[in-house]
Amino acid sequence: MSGRIAVLVFPGTNSEDETLRLLRDCGGDAELVHWTQAERLREYDAYVLSGGFAYEDRVRAGAIAAHDRMMDFVIEGAQRGNLVFGICNGAQILLEAALVPGTGAIRKPTAAFARNGPAPHFVCRHIYMKLAAKPSRCAITATLPDDALVPAWAAHAEGRLAATPEHLDEILAGNHLLFVYAHADGSIDETAIPNGSALGCAGLVNREGNVLAIMPHPERDAWNFNHLDRRDGGVLAPSGGAALFRSFVSAVSS
Amino acid sequence: MRAVAISLKIPDNTAYTALVTLRRLCVDVHRLERSDIYFFESDDAAALAKRVAADETIFNPNKHRLTVLDEPLPRAGEVWIEPLAACRRERAGAWRLFDETGAPVSAAVLDAAIERLLCNPAIDRAVTGENARDRDNGNVGE
Repeated sequence: MSGRIAVLVFPGTNSEDETLRLLRDCGGDAELVHWTQAERLREYDAYVLSGGFAYEDRVRAGAIAAHDRMMDFVIEGAQRGNLVFGICNGAQILLEAALVPGTGAIRKPTAAFARNGPAPHFVCRHIYMKLAAKPSRCAITATLPDDALVPAWAAHAEGRLAATPEHLDEILAGNHLLFVYAHADGSIDETAIPNGSALGCAGLVNREGNVLAIMPHPERDAWNFNHLDRRDGGVLAPSGGAALFRSFVSAVSS
Repeated sequence: MRAVAISLKIPDNTAYTALVTLRRLCVDVHRLERSDIYFFESDDAAALAKRVAADETIFNPNKHRLTVLDEPLPRAGEVWIEPLAACRRERAGAWRLFDETGAPVSAAVLDAAIERLLCNPAIDRAVTGENARDRDNGNVGE
């Protein structure tokens, strides 16, 4: 694998620049690819779908983008084993495309990141995501330590994992629950969940372990300047949520 | 119960995006109208229309069209998308599809549009005139 990473830009994507910058700061060979250049995606080995409001969330969050030409290439790539990493709106797109949890047919979603609950409002809150499975369950997290805690920002109105009881059982039985919301000390309870997400879910992985969808934004807690008390390496040094991006870049390059 | 449909009378970009996407998905639809459906307990249609038209949180006369429906059911060629998690029936998103003759699309075309784009069954319920009548007649379970 040569390790080229495409950061997809749909009309309405708005987090591509910080995502691209962090990938590069973590050593990744990453470039933006816009929706008008879908054919270019053939040239890449991994795909990152960043946050925003693709197609203005028309119909449903992620619904139109899941049928975009770019997603044809992402789906083909995922089925060949390429890594796919969706963040926030990117995660919503991956669920609408049914690449995760991947328990049904492609583009026949069995779950969604739906309107927050119990209060149906936008949340902007610093959170921690804790690995709920072995790091090796997903190639993207493979170099994180057991029980890793990844700091990030939850910034969404539609981040609550929702599915029928049968499909939630499938998610658990298939070990698709990769990240859950946690406190800074790693403890888990209802108050750590910012959005009413079922299973406390912050991130899902597909069966093969090459597609990861997370709702929080680790790229918004990823350099020392996000926390000026962090001293190691100066204010521009990647830190915090960059650990997940480092692991992703490592997996793409291996 | 009565249902009120509020739609845009200015160009509806969301409806256009959905129309283009449905065509890409090989759904044979020529025109698509989108509206928000609100449910009210009321017997007097004229009074209800007047009351809703005065509520500027949901109706702006400069850009909206208001229709009190004859019955609280989707019209021909129309689907109402309602959240599965809703505790009570307050509102729905409506999509009404027309063929090239201007007639409402067939049930088969509507079903294809629902399945391919308009409804995510993990979070939504798709209500059509057909399945709502079946439900009212006790033919399907809830």
